[in-house]
Amino acid sequence: MNNIFQIIQFTIREALARKVFIFFGAIILFVLVGTLLVFGLVDINTLTSAANQSGQNIMTREIVSSLELLIVTPLANLGLLLAIFSSASFIPIMLEKGNIDLLLSKPISRAQLLLGKYFGVVLFVFLNIFFFVFGVWLIISIKFSYWDASFLTLAFVITFAFAVLYALIMLFGVITKNSILGMMIAYLIFLIISPLLLLYKEKLNEFVTSELIDTILVGFYFIVPQTAELMGRIMIDLAMGKGIINFQPIITSLLFLIFILGFSVSLFRRKDF
Amino acid sequence: MIAIETNSLSKVYTSSFGKNKVRALNELNLTINKGTIFGLLGPNGAGKTTLVKLLLQIIFPTFGTAKLMGEDIGNYELKKRIGYLPEDHKYPPYLTGGEVLKFFGRLSGLNGTTLDKRIDELLELVNLSKWKKTKVKSYSKGMTQRLGLAQSLINDPELIFLDEPTDGVDPIGRKEIRDILLELKGRSKTIFLNSHLLSEVELITDRVGILNKGKLLREGTVKELTERKEEYKLILNDELPELNKFADDNLIITKNHDGSYSVKVDDIRTMNILVDKLRGENILIKEIVLQKNTLEEMFISLINREEKGGKE
Repeated sequence: MNNIFQIIQFTIREALARKVFIFFGAIILFVLVGTLLVFGLVDINTLTSAANQSGQNIMTREIVSSLELLIVTPLANLGLLLAIFSSASFIPIMLEKGNIDLLLSKPISRAQLLLGKYFGVVLFVFLNIFFFVFGVWLIISIKFSYWDASFLTLAFVITFAFAVLYALIMLFGVITKNSILGMMIAYLIFLIISPLLLLYKEKLNEFVTSELIDTILVGFYFIVPQTAELMGRIMIDLAMGKGIINFQPIITSLLFLIFILGFSVSLFRRKDF
Repeated sequence: MIAIETNSLSKVYTSSFGKNKVRALNELNLTINKGTIFGLLGPNGAGKTTLVKLLLQIIFPTFGTAKLMGEDIGNYELKKRIGYLPEDHKYPPYLTGGEVLKFFGRLSGLNGTTLDKRIDELLELVNLSKWKKTKVKSYSKGMTQRLGLAQSLINDPELIFLDEPTDGVDPIGRKEIRDILLELKGRSKTIFLNSHLLSEVELITDRVGILNKGKLLREGTVKELTERKEEYKLILNDELPELNKFADDNLIITKNHDGSYSVKVDDIRTMNILVDKLRGENILIKEIVLQKNTLEEMFISLINREEKGGKE
């Protein structure tokens, strides 16, 4: 456990040294300052009295959640793309000649080394995401004097979506010692495959007459990590305080994550460097 | 007590489609005793680094077994007792020298004041105390190499693998590294040294192995490897009147430019017969010197012979 902790700590140190993460942090700070300035100019009473529905409390909640989502959703998606880009090279750099030799000559198991690196990157991305989500939540909560911590759970969902995609990047990093393929596959799943499979399952399946094709596509829907669901419906439901209505995307994505991590470790344990 | 023991240790690299096979290490049997400095020599691609990587489980053997300090190499906990300086080591450029040592020290199970004290001792040992808080990216090649040596010693290992430890180090630095290695040997540490610098290996090693194309060609002490058993230098008081008179099928005698004679004999008995003959002729013998190769001469000759298929 101490070894994993050391590698996590080292990975965070490595991340801090990377300019791309400084850029990442600067963007978050910029958005937070921008949010602060914009909300400094907005009159809450104008916003809340614009609607005259059942209760003041429900109305405030809806406004707050909508505003929070309005800021967080596009930036979380953009942030995820940036996080994938900036973290994809961690594993290949660790596997470079001269680095990996040194690490493997120390009393640390290969599984500890790889998982330590993985969790280090995920933890660092989580800290960035949490800083962002917490910042937006804090600014809006202060402005509206409405405090609902359920919005903060978004940080965990976004990090989970990243963790699933990063497991794939790690797997391809171990196989190819390169970040390009893993990054391309992660982007492909996040931007194209997962949204398309979700679209198929919810809307397009009625147009497919072949049972075989339908089974294959639905099968894919369950196998491929459901980042579109995680970054879409689940995030919205959580922000709106509805909680997680459907756990299936989380469970299947988690199983995918566990399988990919296990497979990566198994390959890494047998690989020559 | 044995520090390193290999039994038919082999590594075969196979290309992606299994067409080409490269035997990087070929059934190596090697035993190295504790408390000695062992130098492994060989041309590029001989399998030197492959052997070290196999012993440290950075790569895995195709077949064969190995033990370090009596324990199977598969146990990663064993590495608590081992230090390693790879040939092309890289340290995170954003860390300072002290931080590099701290990181590897922690990975080796050290922490707290014990680690801090050890870091200071080692930086002092390799003359980098002044550079403790300087980022590694500002280090010269020689400084990086010295930091690498300190890194390999962070856990006070019993067995130390050094791959080209003096690469890029200036002559004074090299001498300092040699002194450190001898001091470590004095503390019963076992040192396994891969080096191209034969003259250095000659200076500090107890035993030497010569590896080529994955095969161990010769192994022994520097003295054993460099002695030319059949050749002597003979210095006489007078000039020999007739060389052929003393030569026969088992003995070749030639005159050198400096007036001495080179005598090639099959064995020491033939040499003694020659001495008897010379004394019988009342020729005064001033000196008889057993001729030795330098390690470099022997190495080049052995590798050339091997390249020609074992023929002289």
